[in-house]
Amino acid sequence: MKGLNILLRKLIKTGAGRIRFAMAIVGLSIAMILILSAVQLQSNYNELLSGSGNRDSIANFLVVNKILTDRNLKNTTLSEAEIQDIGSQSFTDAVGILHSSRFKASIQSSSAQFPFYTDIAFESVPDSFLDVNTKEWYWDESSNFVPIIVPGMFLDIYNFQFSLSQGLPQLTRDVVKMIFFQVNLYDENGGVHSMRGRVVGFSDRVSSLLVPQSFMDWANQQYGTTGNKAPSRIIIRTKDPGNPDLVRYLKEKNLATDQDKTRFSRYRQVVEMVVNISGVTGLLMLLFAVLIFTLFIQLTISSCKEEIKLLLTLGASPKQLSRFLMRQFFPSNIIIIILSLAIVCMLQYLAYRVLAGQQIYISPYISMFSVLTALFILIFIGLVNFINIRKHINYTY
Amino acid sequence: MAGLFLWFEKLIQAMTISLHEVVPVPLKEKLLQQVSGIWNSDIVFTAPEWIKIKAPSGTGKTTFIHSLYKMRTDYTGIIKWGERDINSLAAEELAVYRQQKISVVFQDLRLFPNLTAFENIELNRVLQTVYCEKERITEMAQALGVEHIMHQPAVRCSYGEQQRVAIIRALVQPFEWLIMDEPFSHLDKTNAGKAAALIAEACKERNAGIIITDLHDDDHFAYSRKFIL
Repeated sequence: MKGLNILLRKLIKTGAGRIRFAMAIVGLSIAMILILSAVQLQSNYNELLSGSGNRDSIANFLVVNKILTDRNLKNTTLSEAEIQDIGSQSFTDAVGILHSSRFKASIQSSSAQFPFYTDIAFESVPDSFLDVNTKEWYWDESSNFVPIIVPGMFLDIYNFQFSLSQGLPQLTRDVVKMIFFQVNLYDENGGVHSMRGRVVGFSDRVSSLLVPQSFMDWANQQYGTTGNKAPSRIIIRTKDPGNPDLVRYLKEKNLATDQDKTRFSRYRQVVEMVVNISGVTGLLMLLFAVLIFTLFIQLTISSCKEEIKLLLTLGASPKQLSRFLMRQFFPSNIIIIILSLAIVCMLQYLAYRVLAGQQIYISPYISMFSVLTALFILIFIGLVNFINIRKHINYTY
Repeated sequence: MAGLFLWFEKLIQAMTISLHEVVPVPLKEKLLQQVSGIWNSDIVFTAPEWIKIKAPSGTGKTTFIHSLYKMRTDYTGIIKWGERDINSLAAEELAVYRQQKISVVFQDLRLFPNLTAFENIELNRVLQTVYCEKERITEMAQALGVEHIMHQPAVRCSYGEQQRVAIIRALVQPFEWLIMDEPFSHLDKTNAGKAAALIAEACKERNAGIIITDLHDDDHFAYSRKFIL
């Protein structure tokens, strides 16, 4: 086989279109770098969105309510249809309703050493929307104990503002969880039902005082006035709170959510634009490069037409010749793609170093998608080369 | 069981070359007016037959060789290699036949002008699973008196030298049939004799058949049949 290849190399000269070949190589290299960068950029962004940072636990859940204006005062409930519409949007993975208490309630200290009393209202959400995982989060009618989840922010306000100004001790989360207090529920006639309560967890996701759904249903039934049953707030789970569609939708429907959580939508638009421009340019260049490469192969074959004809006459098989020609042309493609991958690897590592300085953490390595894209393009180019060669050689003489 | 025997018999049987009422289209008018031992008849060549076909000028000698080797298909009738109509062969199959079963010496020799004489021969040797060793080329070149031009580009060799190179090239591959078109046209009697002896040896070694065309009668080989085109 080796001897044959040496002789074939003497017969089939590939020097006929050096400039075209160089052009194809340069074009292909730039195209590969652009395409791979685009894929890498996109996967970096996805990684930032779905990575395991702290930001995420709040970022993927949005509490949504109507924007309160002078005109819709006392009319901020969300109708069944509105909730269904939100649920049917592509950016929504799940919708949960925040039920609010329709009875009066208060909590007060059960210890004389640390007296406090305050009127209070509760909300409840389906358990799957909670970011607190504790066995104590359970209530049934036989239970005289109400577990409560409070926003972590509340304790922060107490510790870093209130306690300092009032000369009260600062409290850690664990200390707060040990304090029992009395929960009073009032019926319409002013009758009081008292239970024991305790904070069992802190939520960074829902800024509300939460009780178990079962307790809320029971209490609303027992003590609820005939107030409006329709919910005013819902919580949605979404893959990407930065999704511009989501932001647009909320704006259109006059809904509000935590602005901070949707701020990524602007970044995402920029990322999308860069990815698109780079990807489309890369694809166009790839097409042109493949075209030039195809022409180069055709030129080589037609400039050796007589030799190829005689080789076939003497009994060389089209397969043998195609394999030889593939070996002449394809390795350069493999090298280009490997080099492009290496360059993108370097860029990724640089980006990792630079971004790490700004507390943005991306992988120092390129993603599987970039490698798969490179592999896919390699197969595509190989196939185009192969078909091209076979088409021009598969004759009988 | 009978089927198996039949298959086995076919396997060990050398390939036949058969012609069924073959008439080249360009010669049709002319051939209808003259009698031919080949054209428009049913003929079966069975290896290891050595066949001489004497062909006066203009009777379609080269057309015959080219048709037999499937280089042209502008004829009516059927040519078969073994059981296969050669027009039904795909490019890959054709290559296998030409590598394994049929070797050829063209009248116009068809060497690669830019390869040396040696490389021209070597190319046909390594085109398939190697049949003979590289040293055999030098031996044959010595036998035919062309070893001194082995490393010259073919284009710089004389026609007589090229003819001997083409003969050696045909002999370095396996074959069941050797088809030759005026292989000694540019050789003197002594050299033609040497070349014929080499060819005869190679064919006997392979138990192969010969089909040779020429303008005149000759006694280069012990022919089993002679035809007039």
